[in-house]
Amino acid sequence: MTSAKRIPQFRLMTRGGVSLHSRIGRSSAVLVVCGCATLALAATRVADADVPIERIGEVEVLPSPFGPHWMWVSDALLERIALVDLDSGAFLGQINAGYGVPVALFSPDRAEIYLPETHHSRRTRGIRTDVATIYDAASLSPVDEVILPPKRAVNPLPVGNSALSDDQRFLAVFNMTPATSLGVVDLEERRFAGEIPTPGCSLVYGVGDRRFAMLCGDGSLLSVTLDEAGRVRQSQRSAPFFDPELDPVTEKGVRWGDSWIFVSFAGWAHVIDFSSGEPSFESPWSLISAEDRARSWRIGGAQHLALHEPTGRLYAAVHQGGPDTHKEGGTEVWVYDIAARERVGRIELRNPGVTVMGMSLAFGRDWAWPFDGLYDFLLDHVAPAFPIEHIAVTQDEEPILATASSFSASLAVYDALSGEFLRRVVTGNMTVQALQPSPFRGLVAAGVGALP
Amino acid sequence: MTALDRWISGVTRWLAQRTSRRGLVGTLGMLLIGGAALPLLPVARRAGAREPAPDEPDRSTPEGDPTSCEYWRFCSIDGFAASCCGGTATSCPPGTQMSAVTWIGTCRNPADGKDYIVSYNDCCGKGPCGNCFCHRNEGDKPVYSPQRSNDIGWCMGSAGVIYNSTVSIVIGVATEQRGRTGGAA
Repeated sequence: MTSAKRIPQFRLMTRGGVSLHSRIGRSSAVLVVCGCATLALAATRVADADVPIERIGEVEVLPSPFGPHWMWVSDALLERIALVDLDSGAFLGQINAGYGVPVALFSPDRAEIYLPETHHSRRTRGIRTDVATIYDAASLSPVDEVILPPKRAVNPLPVGNSALSDDQRFLAVFNMTPATSLGVVDLEERRFAGEIPTPGCSLVYGVGDRRFAMLCGDGSLLSVTLDEAGRVRQSQRSAPFFDPELDPVTEKGVRWGDSWIFVSFAGWAHVIDFSSGEPSFESPWSLISAEDRARSWRIGGAQHLALHEPTGRLYAAVHQGGPDTHKEGGTEVWVYDIAARERVGRIELRNPGVTVMGMSLAFGRDWAWPFDGLYDFLLDHVAPAFPIEHIAVTQDEEPILATASSFSASLAVYDALSGEFLRRVVTGNMTVQALQPSPFRGLVAAGVGALP
Repeated sequence: MTALDRWISGVTRWLAQRTSRRGLVGTLGMLLIGGAALPLLPVARRAGAREPAPDEPDRSTPEGDPTSCEYWRFCSIDGFAASCCGGTATSCPPGTQMSAVTWIGTCRNPADGKDYIVSYNDCCGKGPCGNCFCHRNEGDKPVYSPQRSNDIGWCMGSAGVIYNSTVSIVIGVATEQRGRTGGAA
């Protein structure tokens, strides 16, 4: 805490004194000083009686470890990621980013946050610079950066544009020019390790200590293994495991231990196990029963899947709609026991709350009953339904489900185990493009920032 | 125009100028205001000056109006229609650059019942337009099928990555019936 509190507390007084002395005569200066001293004495007496004299220049750093119910909320309008506490509703801090939807990567062991960014020297034009910025997780200040080739893919996906290797040595960034490739950053040596062409394959998911996986246009999967220097040691393409024409999987996969789960437009869950090194494809199972399918239930949304690792539960946003509604938000979240491949719960979603310019339109909390609940009543029964495009679940033993609609800065928060609605939390964002649960183990406060 | 209309219009356009992802503003309008607010915006209907191509639907219908998201060519679009942004359905707004690479969709022209291949080129180098956000995803595929994915920011290469709007250019007649995905598999 103290490292951030180096304060130039006498600067104001010194500057003022020099300025006064140079402009007025010595006798006048004495009068001024005496007057000031009298005023200061009076002020001190008042201050002693009420509030202690305070220091100017204090800057907070986040405590370590982070709270288990902290959530990072991305905003493409403000080009930032806000950190909020879903329990208290408090806004805790933010990381700024460049163009597009900012999605950060969190090191489980180091108190660092990695953020691939794209900037133009004249904001909408000029020289493009892509950079992987390394932030101190406690101060949220940039401590280092690695310049990337200006090829980073630009899309609104909440996952798949960059990934950490499991040993946290390498950061892989998905490039698209439209030729596809991976840019590899050595996070220990803080250098760009090189570019790996990946023709026909896109996106990137961490699947091992030095291994990444990519989805390919023919429905296959590319595994890329790196050597000590970040070069390709092995690159292997699987047989197709889904039909990219008839029923493609969405890019919004979730990780489950050594496996990744991708769900198709029609709701088939493809579980890919990487524990043996080579990808192993389990037979897909359907999140939508035949009966529900007949009622037009479908998966959909910009971030339609979430997973709670300790209980092995999968959360999927679903709605009733026709073909090509794979990006439409959910009206319910269905909960599955992944191991048993069965649905164990349904959570009917409520309106996450209305904000304009980041400010909540909530009102009447201090009004007399029953009018103190008027805002909630209007949201739940009168306001148009907000399709829930983003869902995320915290990874602690008492997990929280956070839900968001892209164009409200308010989140609706549920008990992820019981499905009980808990509260609404305002993020201060203009929009929500991605939700990321915060890591909550380790994370020691570090040395503020080093980059200007 | 009432004060409420002006306020909503102002808020929507302010957001539009600052958005960095295609689609933000239109959906905001759809969610908060409802589709009814979009006609209130001071849309530059330059496309209206252009005569419809032969065999296109009547311009007085949504399917034939390039400033309507129901315009038949917009079936796979996810972004701002250039025809509402100072351009036309086939040309970009002033000062922007048209992306050389693009995704394609297959749209049925109700005037002749034929399926056409439509190239959706992004207009780049200026911030998002904000007018006529059209979020239709017919035939849209994930990013790993780039030629069919409307989530990709196609402003890349020399034009820079800043997205403004999208044109829809007919580049051929589809010879096969378009397929559906995500059906009752």
